[in-house]
Amino acid sequence: MHNNWLEKYFKGDRTIWLVVFILTLFSLLAVYSSTGTLAYKYQSGDTEFYLFRQARFLIIGLALMYLAHRIRYNVYSRLSQIGLFIAIPLLLLTLIIGTNLNSASRWLSLPGLNTSFQTSDLAKLALIMFVARMLSRKQENIKDFKTAFLPIMLPVLIVCGLILPANLSTSLLIFFTSVVLMFIGRINMKYVFIMCGLGVVLLSGYVAVKYNSEDRGRVVTWINRVKNFSSGEGNDNYQADQAKIAIATGGLVGKFPGNSTQRNFLPHPYSDFIFAIIIEEYGFLFGGVLMIFLYLLLFFRVIRFINHSPRAFATLLAVGCSFMLVFQAMINMAVAVNLFPVTGQPLPLVSMGGTSTLFTSIALGIILSVSREVEKEKKEGGGELAAA
Amino acid sequence: METKKDIMWRIYLVFAGFLLFGIAICVQIFRIQFVEGDYWRSKADSLTTQIRSIEASRGNICSSDGSLLATSVPIYDVRMDLNADGLTSEVFNKNIDSLSLCLSNLFKDKSRSEYNHDLRQARNGGSRYFLIQKNVHYADLHKLKQFPLFRLGKYKGGLLIDQRNVRELPFKELAQRTIGTMRDIKPVGIEASFDGSLQGASGSRLMQRIAGGVWMPLNDKEEVESKDGNDIITTINVNIQDVAESALGEHLLKNNADHGCVVVMEVETGNIVAIANLSRTPDGSYQENFNYAIAEATEPGSTMKLASLLVGIDDGLIDLNEKIDVGNGLMFYCGQKMEDAHPPKKTKLTVREAFMTSSNVGVSKIITHYYANKQQAFLSKLQSFGLNNKLGLQIEGEGRPHIKNAKDKDWNPCVSLPWTSIGYEVLLSPLQTLTFYNAIANNGRMVKPKFVKEIRYHGQLVKAFPTEIIRDSIVSPSTIAKAHELLESVVDSGTATALKNPNYRVAGKTGTAVINHQKFGYDKNNKTYQASFAGYFPADRPKYSIIAVVYAPSSGVYYGGAVSAPIFKEIADKLFSNEMSLHNELAASDSLNKNIPEAKPGQQNDLNKVLASLKVNALTRNAEATWVSTTGSEEGVVMTERNTHIGAVPNVIGMGIRDAIYLLENSGLNVKASGKGAVKKQSIDPGTKIIKGQKIVIELG
Repeated sequence: MHNNWLEKYFKGDRTIWLVVFILTLFSLLAVYSSTGTLAYKYQSGDTEFYLFRQARFLIIGLALMYLAHRIRYNVYSRLSQIGLFIAIPLLLLTLIIGTNLNSASRWLSLPGLNTSFQTSDLAKLALIMFVARMLSRKQENIKDFKTAFLPIMLPVLIVCGLILPANLSTSLLIFFTSVVLMFIGRINMKYVFIMCGLGVVLLSGYVAVKYNSEDRGRVVTWINRVKNFSSGEGNDNYQADQAKIAIATGGLVGKFPGNSTQRNFLPHPYSDFIFAIIIEEYGFLFGGVLMIFLYLLLFFRVIRFINHSPRAFATLLAVGCSFMLVFQAMINMAVAVNLFPVTGQPLPLVSMGGTSTLFTSIALGIILSVSREVEKEKKEGGGELAAA
Repeated sequence: METKKDIMWRIYLVFAGFLLFGIAICVQIFRIQFVEGDYWRSKADSLTTQIRSIEASRGNICSSDGSLLATSVPIYDVRMDLNADGLTSEVFNKNIDSLSLCLSNLFKDKSRSEYNHDLRQARNGGSRYFLIQKNVHYADLHKLKQFPLFRLGKYKGGLLIDQRNVRELPFKELAQRTIGTMRDIKPVGIEASFDGSLQGASGSRLMQRIAGGVWMPLNDKEEVESKDGNDIITTINVNIQDVAESALGEHLLKNNADHGCVVVMEVETGNIVAIANLSRTPDGSYQENFNYAIAEATEPGSTMKLASLLVGIDDGLIDLNEKIDVGNGLMFYCGQKMEDAHPPKKTKLTVREAFMTSSNVGVSKIITHYYANKQQAFLSKLQSFGLNNKLGLQIEGEGRPHIKNAKDKDWNPCVSLPWTSIGYEVLLSPLQTLTFYNAIANNGRMVKPKFVKEIRYHGQLVKAFPTEIIRDSIVSPSTIAKAHELLESVVDSGTATALKNPNYRVAGKTGTAVINHQKFGYDKNNKTYQASFAGYFPADRPKYSIIAVVYAPSSGVYYGGAVSAPIFKEIADKLFSNEMSLHNELAASDSLNKNIPEAKPGQQNDLNKVLASLKVNALTRNAEATWVSTTGSEEGVVMTERNTHIGAVPNVIGMGIRDAIYLLENSGLNVKASGKGAVKKQSIDPGTKIIKGQKIVIELG
C-alpha cells in the first residue's frame, strides 16, 4: 500500500531519490552546525535562522524537483532555447549592474523577491540542456564542422565569455562540462581538441589584456589564488590550513554532529568548505567516503537507466545534468581537501545557498524526468532497445 | 545501435574519470588524517583552545574614612571597522552624515564635516581599525552605542570597542603625589610602594573559541582564579587635605614662590592627615609634581634652633633665663659674618628671648659658649634625637638627612658649630623636621609618620599598621616642658604672633633660611629663602603637628612668620572647627535652655528619639499613632495623632520636607516642592481622594 503510494507519485529512479534525501539531510545538519558564526554576525545570535532558511530552500527545491520530474523531458528541449534566450541578456545585465560582491558582479537582485540570484546558475542549466538538444539533433552529421560543431560551439563560448569576467570557476566548469558533453555526443575529436585550444587561447588572451589594463577586475584575484595554491602562502592558505585541521581532527568517525570547532575558523564553513566540516563531524568514513560515494552513485544510476534509453537527447540531457552536478561536487570536495585552489563552487544540494540550490534541484528533477520516462518506455516497449 | 554504443563507452570513460577523482580525494583525506595528522591536530589545539589570563582588578587607595583616592575604572578606545562585512555602501551613505554630527556633538573635537570627511576617506582607504576616540568614559560610550550606524553593532555598524582599566583619582589633584602612580619609569607614591599588595594576582583559565569570536571557559582543574588586589586605607583625611592643598596653593601664589609643601600629622599616632606638595608650572599655576615633603632634604634654618637649645638644656648647661650678649645682632666667626634678621631690641637677651625672636647671634653664641670645646658631644646629642637617620617611611624616596661629625673633612671647627646650631650645614626634609617637632608635642616620644594604616581585602582587614615608636623619649620630661615653653613663647610674643587666636593656642617655630637650592645657588645680592613654620596645637594637649615650607618666595616677604605661618593657621582653623574634641566645653549655664523647643510634626518614633536626646519631655495623647502633630506646652512637647487615611491626601502642613515627601509619595502622589523650612501650603487639600500619579505642589517656608 505504502509502496504503491510512493510509486504513484515519485516516479523515476528510487536510488536517486534516496541519494537526494540523504544529501538534503546532510545539508540541514551541516548548515545548522556551521552557521553559528554567521548567525552571531548577522542575526544577533539567532542560530536557527539559517537552519530554517536552508530548510525553506530545500523544501522549495524538492518541490521544484518534483514538478520538474513530472514534466516530459522532451519539453526541456524547447525550454532550453527559451532559457538561453532569457539567460544571455540577463548575464549581460548582471555584468553591467549586478550587485558587487567581492568585486565580482555575479548577482542580480530579484525585484519583489527579497533575494539575489546568480544568473550563471540559470545560464548553466539552460546551456547544458541546449547543448544536449543540439547534439542529439545533429547526430546524423555529427562529425561535420559547419552543421554540427559550429552551432554548438558558439553559444558555449558566448555564455562562458559572459560569465568569465565575474566568475572564472563557473565559466570553466560550464566550458568543461560542454566539452565533455561534446565528446560524449560524438563530435569529431579533432574539433573537441580545437575547442579546448580555443578556450585556453581566449582565456589567456582575456587575462593578458585585463592584466595590462587599468581596471584589472578579478584577474588579480585569480592569479593570486593560483599563486597561493602553488606557493602555500596567503589568505587562501589560511583557509586551506583550517580545512586540513578540520579534516585531520575529524578522524575516521568524526567528532559527531554539532561538535565542529573549525567552523569558527573557516571563513565559509557552510559553503566552500562544508565538505571539511562534514568530515570533521562525521569522519573519513561516514562523511568523506560516504559523500563521494553518494555523488558517484548518482552518476552511476544515471548510466544505468540511460543504458535502456534509445534516445540520444534523453541520454545527453541526463548525462549532461548529472555530469555538471557531480563534477561540481568533485571540484568542491577537491578544494576542501586542498587538491584544488579555492574556487567558490558550492557542494550541490549540501552547501547553504539560495538560487543555486533551486537550480540544482531542477537539474535533478530533469534527470528524474528522463529516468521516469525511460522506465515507462521500458515497461511499454518490453525492454526492447531501438535506435533514435 | 552503433551510435548508442559509441555514446555509452564515452560515458563509461567519464565515469571512470569520476571514480579516479573520488579516489584522489579519498587519498588526500587519508594523507591529511594519517600522514600529516599529528601536525594539523597539534595546530588545532593551539588555535581553538588557549590558556588566557584573567586580569585581577587592582585595589583601591582610600582615605582614612574610606573615600576613594585612587581606583581603577574601565575606559574605552572606540574604533570603527569601516569595511565591516555588513556595512554596505547604502547603509554607510545613509547614516554617515548623522553619525558625524553625533560624534561632533559628543566629543566636540572635530566639526561634523571633518568627521564626515575623515570617515569617508578611511572607508575608501580600506580602513578596518579607524580610531574614533581614545579614553572614552562609560557614560559617553553608552551614548555612542546609540548613534546611527554604531547601534547596528560590530558587524553591521563596524563599532569596535577596546576596554582598558585606568587609574582614576576621584579627588583629582588631592594628595596626588603621595597617592602616586604606577608607570614604567620610576613609579612613585603609595601606588608604587604598595604595588605588591594592590595588584592582586591574575589568574588563568583554559578557554575555547566559539562562534562570534567569543572565548568560552572550559571546565578545567588547572583553572587559577584571579585574586583582586587589596585596598590600601591611608591616613589621609580628604577634608583636611583639601584645606591644606588650597591654603598652600593660595599662599604660594601670593608669594610667587617656586614650590612648597605642607604636612599635617596626628601627634599621638603619627598619622599623616594631609600632605600637599605644589610646584610652579611654566604657566604660573601650581601642581603636584614632586613629593618635596618627603624627598627634599634641605638646610632647615631656624626650626633647627629648637633642637640645638634642647641639647644644651637637656645636658643641664643652658637655662632659659640665662642672658646672652647679642650686641647689635652682628658678629663674626673667624671672619664669617653672622647677622640677625632684625636688629635686636636690646643688647642682652635671655635664651628664651633669643629663641622667640629667632636671633641667630644669640643661639649660635650660647651653643659655641658651651660646646666649642666638645663639638662632637653637641653633634652626637643632635643625632641622638633621630635627626641623622631616615625615618623608614612606607613610601619610598625619602630624602637623606645629614648632621655632620666633628671629624668630618668638611667640618670647620670655628664656623661649622655656630652655623649648625642655627640650621645650616645640616640637611633635613620637612617631614623629618616635623617628626622632631611632633616628638616634642608628644612629650618626647618620637613616632614614625604613617601614611597607610590598614590593608583590607574586600572590606576585611588584612593587615593593620600600628604606630611605630622611633624613640620612646628623646629628652627628659623637664626638657620637654621647657621646649613647650619656648615654642609657645614664639606664638605669644615672638616671630609668629600672627597665630595667636582666642580659640586655641599654638606652639611652634618659624624658620627662614637662605637656601642653597641647586636651581638658585647662594647669591649674596639676590638671596633665595626658604620660609617655614613647624608647630603643633592645641598647645596644652597637642593633637596635630603641622609643618609648612615655602621655597623661594619672591614677593618681597620671606619670613617664616609671614609666609608659612598663615598656611599653618588656615589648616589649624579647619581642624579645630571640624573636631569637637578640641573645643573647650561650654559653661553649663549656656547649654540649659529654659524654653521648650519647637518641633515639627512628623513620625512619633523619630520625635521621641530627638526629644529624648535633648532631654525634653514628650507628652503623647496616643502612643500608637505613627504620625503626630505637635504643640508646645510648659512641660514639654505635646503630640496629637494626625489622621492619615488610606486613599486620601494626608495633611503635611508644618512637617519637614523629609516627612512630607515620604508621606505624599507613599500615597501615590507626585511631589514638587519649593522653598525651605516647614510645609506652609499644599496644593491639594487634605482628605481629598487621591488620584495616583497626580502632582502636588508643596511650599515650604
